[in-house]
Amino acid sequence: MKRQIKVTSLFQMRDLKAVGKKFVHVMYPKKSSALLRDWDLWGPLVLCVSLALMLQGGSADSKEDGGPQFAEVFVIIWFGAVVITLNSKLLGGTISFFQSLCVLGYCVLPLTVAMLVCRLVLLAGSGTISFIVRLIVVMAMFGWSTLASTAFLADSQPPNRKALVVYPIFLFYFVISWMILTFTPQ
Amino acid sequence: LDPGEEAGGGGAPRPPPALGDDTEDVSLDLGGEEELALRKAQIRHPLATFFHLFFRVSAIITYLFCDWFSNSFVACFVTILLLLSFDFWSVKNVTGRLLVGLRWWNQIDEDGKSHWVFEARRVSTIAASTEAEARIFWLGLIICPVIWIVFFFSTLFSLKLKWLALVIAGISLQTANLYGYIHCKLGGQKSISRITSRFFVTADVPKSKYQAGPSAINHEVSNADLPHAVGFGFSWY
Repeated sequence: MKRQIKVTSLFQMRDLKAVGKKFVHVMYPKKSSALLRDWDLWGPLVLCVSLALMLQGGSADSKEDGGPQFAEVFVIIWFGAVVITLNSKLLGGTISFFQSLCVLGYCVLPLTVAMLVCRLVLLAGSGTISFIVRLIVVMAMFGWSTLASTAFLADSQPPNRKALVVYPIFLFYFVISWMILTFTPQ
Repeated sequence: LDPGEEAGGGGAPRPPPALGDDTEDVSLDLGGEEELALRKAQIRHPLATFFHLFFRVSAIITYLFCDWFSNSFVACFVTILLLLSFDFWSVKNVTGRLLVGLRWWNQIDEDGKSHWVFEARRVSTIAASTEAEARIFWLGLIICPVIWIVFFFSTLFSLKLKWLALVIAGISLQTANLYGYIHCKLGGQKSISRITSRFFVTADVPKSKYQAGPSAINHEVSNADLPHAVGFGFSWY
């Protein structure tokens, strides 16, 4: 019995380290196989939940406790990632379904950081200057996310189809960035 | 104790433990009485059995009674989602292997092609699972997705659509495990019929199997060529 518990906890350390390694790979996107070969969906889950938590509480009516918005962010991220993956598979991509979900999910990390920065900036004030700062940060992070995921995903496509694969990714991160930029707390 | 048992505990060689994994079914070096007790025990992996059911049942209970626990939709959503994820991880990686000797995973080779691998353990050892554990495993595995499907319809028809995302997540996670293990089980049965000549059921073999002698040689051979049992040790997940 003791041996069971010991290995289970060793297991969580290994999983956690694998997740951490993938976060680092997203921030410095090079051609690495860690994100692609050992896919896992823990990172995307954590990012999705934290982004959704930070994005709620900005609705006009104060009676709702942000319920529908929370579920909306969730649905947008997961449904969007599934649609992009289906699109790339229909275009003849070689990457597998879950690998693609993994990459798209992990590349939400820069936008989550942008959301954090935006919330901090909004604490300071919500005038024009704060808007400009937020705009710059969100645009930079949006570019980073798109480039990082394109670096991983576009390789699996034949050269004349790369643009067809990249534009849904662009749209996906654009929608998320839009949600982040237009977030105003009550 | 019969003389066979005593002699067996003495100088006979033990089969080597499987590599790389502490929870592997290594033959335990227990005394005769403890081994008998272990064999007679209804539940040999109480912790795994508990956790197999704990996360699933807590997720369902939290979903049903979330109004009592907290007013916040977000807190309930996140809690249930975390419980479902932990349940998925533990059933896929731990309880399936320990309770029924099945496992499945996805691996991606150098070409970038992904393979889904489904394995069933062929030879049972002393610390293997019992009927009671297997029954608990399968009941838990089958009943909970059915309950989540019922929740899906009730959410849809009562138009509480904000819970729909969560229910769909619950259904997908639980049916993924169900599908994986059924695939393992059916695949295992097919391969068992092919290798029945080498299939060895430990329950029928007395402890004296570890003695030197003709019967022990047979057992050594079938124990030695257990690529599955040894391979069970690595590449998890």
